Amino acid sequence: MTSVEPLPHGYPFRFADRTVERTGPASGRVRAVVSANARGVAHGGLNSSLLSELMAQAALLLEGGDPEIGRSGFLAGFSEVSVLRVPEAGDVLTVDIALAGRLGPFAKFTATVADGDGTRVASGSFSVRKGTVPGAG
Amino acid sequence: MDPKDELKTRIKQIIVKQLKLEIDPASIRDDAPLFGDAANGLGLDSIDALELVLGVEKEFGIKVQDEEVGVKAFASVDALHDFIRQKNAA
Repeated sequence: MTSVEPLPHGYPFRFADRTVERTGPASGRVRAVVSANARGVAHGGLNSSLLSELMAQAALLLEGGDPEIGRSGFLAGFSEVSVLRVPEAGDVLTVDIALAGRLGPFAKFTATVADGDGTRVASGSFSVRKGTVPGAG
Repeated sequence: MDPKDELKTRIKQIIVKQLKLEIDPASIRDDAPLFGDAANGLGLDSIDALELVLGVEKEFGIKVQDEEVGVKAFASVDALHDFIRQKNAA
């Protein structure tokens, strides 16, 4: 999968597993296990596009998303994403999320993704929109 | 420079910086619509609005959480200028 291909927005395209800790209304830590059979995990790794999606799902989970679905909105755009290492299948990741600001249904967050050793593997800032994709059924 | 013009210049610089636009801040007309109308204005969208809100909050310490207020306040450089002046005076 390359970054120019559309992302499949739907189950089982879910990476954020559960909230570990809340530090604010929409800030905290989320756990994610990289599963080899998750949709989009090509060649056993989670590429930068999917890491962006993971960050967005983690933020939406903290925003009150349905834990079964892991989200209540979608990634609307990202300002910057830095990937230091591509997480591999079996990696247990933690995603630290901080709310930067919000306006209407849009919210901006910063995120840091770390592996089981606590080593940072990625970071980024991005916007999400709560609710369903406008015009999508 | 007139303080009014100075604030407008600062607003234009914030717009360009915050949205990483590759244009001269001075090329933004004071009355041009910032959103939607790409032919006459900047054609910005909702995510850009959020970025601008964060920029204004950072630079002027003014919080905008209501979307309706944001839509009016960020309609143009003129509108944003008036909004910031009004908030600073309050």
